[in-house]
Amino acid sequence: MNANTATRALLFAAASFGICLCAAHAANTRKEARIDIAPGGTVNIVNGGGSITLHSGAGHQLLATYTVHSAKVEVDQSTSANKQRVELLTHALPGEKPTADEAKVDYDVTVPTGVSVNVTSTSAPITADGINSDIGLSSETGQITVHNVARSHVNVRSMTAPVSLKDVTMSRVDIQSAGGAVQLANVNGQRVSVGTTSGNIDYQGDPSGGGNYILTTHSGAIDVTLPATASVDLSARSTTGKVENDFPLQQKPHTSFVPQQGRSFAGTSNSGSSSVELQSFSGKIRVKKQ
Amino acid sequence: MNCQQFQETLPYIIEHGGGGEDESHLQECESCASLVQDLRYIAEQAKLLLPMHDPNPRVWNNIEQSLHREGLLPEGRMPRLGHTQKNSTSQAQAKSWTPLGWALALTAVILFAVVLTNYKPTPLQQTPLTAQNSAADSAQFNSDDQQLISQLSQQSPEAQRAYEASLRDVNAYIADAEQAAKSDPSDASAQALLQNAYEQKEMVYQMATARSLP
Repeated sequence: MNANTATRALLFAAASFGICLCAAHAANTRKEARIDIAPGGTVNIVNGGGSITLHSGAGHQLLATYTVHSAKVEVDQSTSANKQRVELLTHALPGEKPTADEAKVDYDVTVPTGVSVNVTSTSAPITADGINSDIGLSSETGQITVHNVARSHVNVRSMTAPVSLKDVTMSRVDIQSAGGAVQLANVNGQRVSVGTTSGNIDYQGDPSGGGNYILTTHSGAIDVTLPATASVDLSARSTTGKVENDFPLQQKPHTSFVPQQGRSFAGTSNSGSSSVELQSFSGKIRVKKQ
Repeated sequence: MNCQQFQETLPYIIEHGGGGEDESHLQECESCASLVQDLRYIAEQAKLLLPMHDPNPRVWNNIEQSLHREGLLPEGRMPRLGHTQKNSTSQAQAKSWTPLGWALALTAVILFAVVLTNYKPTPLQQTPLTAQNSAADSAQFNSDDQQLISQLSQQSPEAQRAYEASLRDVNAYIADAEQAAKSDPSDASAQALLQNAYEQKEMVYQMATARSLP
């Protein structure tokens, strides 16, 4: 009798364990999809939480791998008839109200060269590495990271998400961030524009090469570190904040404003090939030599 | 209109109500609105105290007799007819209310004096250039902001709080940039700040409307 009870208990425990394993497996479902996309096409990804990682790849197929964290959400894939547009959309199943954790989906997407990518996220961190096509990334709170991009248009929007761009060259860069800090390291191109409300802006690198660099903030700090070889025509103005300069600049004979000690300055370095405009309302602006 | 100009017309505004420009400034400036509210309250309370300020009828009689003696008042003329007709009631009032009336009047005068002495109108060039001041002034959301926040609150309280904070910051940015641009309309830098401020708000709105999952 005792032996029977013990055996039944063991069987029950084993069955329960198996059911739990199956449930866990079902909850974290990993799927892989190869989707045809036309050269010059666009892939749009909408994902609330989790993560999104983008890589560059060869061929004409998009390789999308995603892990769904609960059975309450799913990923919809759709492709336009001409294969110019692919959509990957995370959404809750009808009647389900997933929590933030349950709604998470982790994406890993390999994008063929020349295909543009747009990602919209709420809290998911977004990483784009080596994408050499136009990139549009938007996140409320998830960190946005872009590495190793050339000859592209990078458009980033963040509410409080930190934004980091490194080794983005010969590109057009537009970043708008309300409260998230923006870090740019070795970022250059024909136009680099960053605007924040309270987020700090940090630029390190050589902007020489004939581009326009406009860094604007309300109350965030702007820190710019340039090498001595930088060829820039630089101006910095703050309405109420302090402005400091440790970078050797030659005075300009004419400026569009009257420089005010501690509030603004302007000057050129080397041939002044690129225009760098730094503006804040109350945030401190510092320009340093590397 | 700035605070200084507004305060120069303050007596007229208290007495007659002010014009469209005054009302517009009152809606924008919390500090002046608060001052006007205080002064109007004091003026209203002071009106209620007027009957209790009336001196005792004996004072009027003494004045009348003095005027007769000096020959300044013709014989037979009845000064302050209305006043004497009301004597029966006003005397009763004076007996029961005069001490309280004087106390309230004194309190009103002291309060008025305290408001006037403590109120330090800030010069125009200082008010627009402080982010903190403007942040407080623009803490009020407009109707579109409120509608957006209301919609977000139905999605998640965290999102509501986050967007409230962002909108508050962006509104402060817009207020500061607008004042800087108004101070010097030819300043391209101020115009650029204002443009960026509006782009920031546009971005916040677009992100809010693009929200999908929690």
